[in-house]
Amino acid sequence: MRIEPFTDTPLSILAYDGTPKENPDSLGLGKDDYLHMYRWLVFVRGVDDRGYILVRQGRAGFYAQIAGQEAAQVGSALPLLKDDWMYPDHRSQGSMLVKGLSAAEWFGHVLGRTLDPTQGRLMPHGPGRRDLHIVPPASTVGNKITEAVGTAMAQRIKKRKEITICYMGDGATSEGDFHVGMNFAAVYQAPALMFVQNNQYAISMRTDQQTRTKTIAEKARAYGMPGYFVDGNDVLAVYAVTKHCADRARSGNGPSLIEAYTYRYGPHSSADDDTRYRPKGELEMWRTQRDPVTRMRRFLELRGWWSEEQEQRLQAEIKAQLAAAMEEAEKSPPPAPLTVFDHVYETLTPHLAWERAELAAELGV
Amino acid sequence: MATVQTPPQTQLTMVQAIRSALLEEMERDQDVVILGEDIGVRGGVFLITEGLIDKFGPERVIDTPLAEAGIIGAAVGMALYGLRPIAEIQFIDFIFPGFDLLVTEAAKIRYRSAGQFGVPMVIRSPYGGGVRGGAYHSQSPEAYFVATPGLKVVVPSNPYDAKGLLIASIRDPDPVVFMEPKKIYRAVKSEVPAGPYEVPLGKAALVREGKHVSIITFGAMVQVALEAAGLLAADGVEAEILDLRTLQPYDTQAILTTVAKTGHVVLLQEAPRIGGYCAEIAAYIAEHAVEHLEGPIVRVAGWDTAFPYALEKVYMPNAQRVVRAVKKTLNF
Ligand SMILES: Cc1ncc(C[n+]2csc(CCOP(=O)(O)OP(=O)(O)O)c2C)c(N)n1
Repeated sequence: MRIEPFTDTPLSILAYDGTPKENPDSLGLGKDDYLHMYRWLVFVRGVDDRGYILVRQGRAGFYAQIAGQEAAQVGSALPLLKDDWMYPDHRSQGSMLVKGLSAAEWFGHVLGRTLDPTQGRLMPHGPGRRDLHIVPPASTVGNKITEAVGTAMAQRIKKRKEITICYMGDGATSEGDFHVGMNFAAVYQAPALMFVQNNQYAISMRTDQQTRTKTIAEKARAYGMPGYFVDGNDVLAVYAVTKHCADRARSGNGPSLIEAYTYRYGPHSSADDDTRYRPKGELEMWRTQRDPVTRMRRFLELRGWWSEEQEQRLQAEIKAQLAAAMEEAEKSPPPAPLTVFDHVYETLTPHLAWERAELAAELGV
Repeated sequence: MATVQTPPQTQLTMVQAIRSALLEEMERDQDVVILGEDIGVRGGVFLITEGLIDKFGPERVIDTPLAEAGIIGAAVGMALYGLRPIAEIQFIDFIFPGFDLLVTEAAKIRYRSAGQFGVPMVIRSPYGGGVRGGAYHSQSPEAYFVATPGLKVVVPSNPYDAKGLLIASIRDPDPVVFMEPKKIYRAVKSEVPAGPYEVPLGKAALVREGKHVSIITFGAMVQVALEAAGLLAADGVEAEILDLRTLQPYDTQAILTTVAKTGHVVLLQEAPRIGGYCAEIAAYIAEHAVEHLEGPIVRVAGWDTAFPYALEKVYMPNAQRVVRAVKKTLNF
């Protein structure tokens, strides 16, 4: 695959049925890498399925599924190095898991328990972890984009060989923050990857209601950076393009925009009713003909590296692993009431200390 | 000869009452348009605009790209031209990308054009906690708007007022921030007449009469005040509840009247205490009615933290806190 910017059709390596259009070994990958990628796809799908069940059981207030977008997330997170920074958005848990967040921490986050590295501070849009360089997302669409660029500018100022990846949806590209962030990133040649998961909807709004350009990738041209349009359900293509842009940024050649063309299977969130706006049949088509996990599995099968028996074993292994993670999350207590005053500032102000005493008296603790 | 009929009344939720205000005003005035995210086929995330696009078409029910600066800025421009736009911000927590257009432009154009231009627009938006929404789907940011001369700020507490206040806001010549308490969107029903009517801006409502203490509040907290009043009544304390309804301009007369009557004041808001709206009311009472006070003015508010997710119940003001505040001022 020639990694070219500004194509009209998405760059891809695997056809919808998993047949390679060309030999992906030229990416420098081998059997173990492919198996590793596939395992991640199955794993993040498993985590997400179990996370969503918590809402249906009434044990969480909210959930935004990534189902359908696993390849976009796994494929873009795998090329990152340990010290690289990640700004996830509200639908990036797959990327966070690849970067090092544990499934138990994710479940703890969804349940609002202390196992959540962010202590149940935000509805389940994603935690963060300083040591993993994962910045917690806000709910506010787009408002992390300029921050991510600032982090990338700092990496350049400090002459580190690190990069920053910023995740956003197609909807986020309508916010002013996107345009300001793109311009800053290009002007300062910041080592930033602007990674757009174009899942074709922003709640009910189709991408063609957000923008008149045919692709989002082509917007990059106006800011003076390359924009890559890639099949977001082809984990190999996403990996190859992200790796290419990461290498470019790491070697001082500036930012890139990547548009991963994909599809979300779930409603926008557990609070949405997608039957109001999704045309009949569309979801079924994507699910049955373009599924990112199945596509990678077919590729492995074609190479003779995967069997039904291996599949069963992997599913059983992940099931057990996730059951243990869920148990760990459930055992973790909710945050203690008085911690509500922690971390407003680094140290408690006199006024907050007074409010804390008032609450302690109220609770008799 | 046709007999005079009283307009039909129905029990409506706040969602239905707000929808009927939009529908009737759009029928009455061709210049009323609405714009916002997902307000078309999706009907808005709370279904307030459900069905309106079928009735009025995409030129008057404008589904916008995801950009609050675009929504608010475009509404200002439409209003300057003579339309009467109603902008929906999906959650008030997301008004901030358009904050500049609101506080710098919408609020100030009448003043700095010496009255030549005005912006008759409404920004409707759900606010408040109690819905497991965490830090960015629960806030009560009224203090920012109230501190901006040129904006009117309206917060209904029940379906009847919601409809009448929204109609009055749409017809008002100045920009109105209309904050809808989403926790009680569907939880409270009241009799709502069919057909348009106005509840005047700047007028408070006496929700409950009492002689021992005045609880002054607004929005979803009116329900909390009512619950507290029930608990207090069991103890022989009769609380009066004043629902401000409009925060800017606010009803000074109603405040002075209730303070003179009871001599004890508890102020109740969901937002953090420091610099909050109730501080303004407390200052006003201290300046103008201190001779009637028989105890300290006590505020019940959210803690001075960001809005938490897991600890939401610990955060939200509740009836027990109001009761304690009432005892504090009564036992002074
Ligand atoms: C500034 C802002 N406006 C509105 C919202 C409400 N909202 C949450 S997600 C969303 C759509 C986001 O679409 P997109 O960026 O494409 O990401 P997706 O959810 O499809 O992954 C909207 C409108 C918000 N969270 N923040």
